[in-house]
Amino acid sequence: MNEFFVRLSKIDRRYIFLLVAVSVIVPLLFPFHYPTRVTRHTQAVFDIVDQIPPVSNPILISFEYGPSTMPECHPMAYAILRHAFSRRVRVIGITLSADATGLGEQALSDVAREYGREYGKDYVYLGYKPGVSAVMLSIGEDIKKTFPRDFYGQPTSGIPMLTEVHNYSQIPLVIPLTGSQTATSWLIYAGARYHARVADGVTAVMASELYAFLQTKQLSGLLAGLKGAAEYERLVQQAGYTKNEGKATRGMDALSTMHLVIITFIILGNIGFFLSRRSAKKGERP
Amino acid sequence: MRRRLPLLICLFSGLFFTIQFFIPHQEVRRLYADGLRWLIVVATFAVVLATGSLINHHIRKLRRRDKDWSYSLVTLLALLGMGIAGFSTGTRPGTLFNKLFLNVQVPMQSTMFGILAFYIASASYRAFRARSKEATLLLLAAFLLMLSAVSFMSYYFPHITTLSEWLLMVPNLAAQRGILFGVFLGTLATSIKIILGIERGWMGGGR
Repeated sequence: MNEFFVRLSKIDRRYIFLLVAVSVIVPLLFPFHYPTRVTRHTQAVFDIVDQIPPVSNPILISFEYGPSTMPECHPMAYAILRHAFSRRVRVIGITLSADATGLGEQALSDVAREYGREYGKDYVYLGYKPGVSAVMLSIGEDIKKTFPRDFYGQPTSGIPMLTEVHNYSQIPLVIPLTGSQTATSWLIYAGARYHARVADGVTAVMASELYAFLQTKQLSGLLAGLKGAAEYERLVQQAGYTKNEGKATRGMDALSTMHLVIITFIILGNIGFFLSRRSAKKGERP
Repeated sequence: MRRRLPLLICLFSGLFFTIQFFIPHQEVRRLYADGLRWLIVVATFAVVLATGSLINHHIRKLRRRDKDWSYSLVTLLALLGMGIAGFSTGTRPGTLFNKLFLNVQVPMQSTMFGILAFYIASASYRAFRARSKEATLLLLAAFLLMLSAVSFMSYYFPHITTLSEWLLMVPNLAAQRGILFGVFLGTLATSIKIILGIERGWMGGGR
């Protein structure tokens, strides 16, 4: 038995790769529909969006993820947009990452089509602007001067939805969807400087850095990784805003199974490690 | 003059952006808003500089036939191709640029990132061992956080979520806050040194 665990701890890594591949592919092909418990931080984001009156001041979603972090952040964008558009909550989309320009447009136009929302009245996409912190600060002064034209080249001063929107004072919620440090920058520049209400949607590895701001209530809510996206999808579905099962919910089956596989590997690896250490100690004895 | 002028601009801008915070006068606010738009323009030039630097670096590698020069060729061709596609057809949906982005760049970059999962699994199996007290603590914390990330575990055993949240909100927060204080105090000190011209690394010639 001992030898088995010791040999297992030295297993060829290609077998591990194979197991990981199976644990990802099988749940994607045959969903297990694992149940999900919604965390209070996800619930907080949902509640804020849910309390914004329809056809009123718009929320601002900043798409700041590239293709590498897309599997975690793109489903968040779809879930939030489904929630907003089903309730006729207006949305301003921007991006501070060149990589995300096409992804932001894709999410906005896909969900707008799904709910029959009209560009310029229900949502607007202002596209990419370099400068990160300067852009965040500049929106606090005047959003239309910061983005004189939208993504499609139309002057923002002529967009009906933006007539009454000047700065953060008319934006009830800012949601950066990001896999980078800009999650904190929004809190510093938009939150602290202009008192904007910020709720972040970030990759799982970023989440632990933001708990300090959740505790101080500088951050109003947090979607943490694919799990956060799946929780939001569940809330949107439960509230009857959509019948579609989102990509994050399907992805969570694969992620959960893979986590279990990795946990099993770690346990087996440690058993093997302890047994081989014990054998080595015994061998050293006279 | 070549050195003094940038230092003077830096000193003036740094002092202005600091002082304006305390002067809510209309004219100061207007100057501040103009300054922010200037910053965005300067950031745009940084993109041009970065592209120029990238091209120079790879052309140099190609000329010298350095190791893996073929990758430099691919980088330059991709840059040129996307540039031509972007400038000739625009970046809107349905354009060649957008199609290349969604159908080439997105799958390639996602695949590269996806491969990480395999290495993480293999590395955690081999390296995540309880070799010492510290390593055991790290292992237990990671174990608990990974369990809470498994959706049905947190559903059927809510205490796992409670415990993992405690880990994130108490020990993690204590360490994170210490790091944050350090980082922001460091940023503040460096900013003051740059404004006063003590730190001149940004000018490209060291101190």
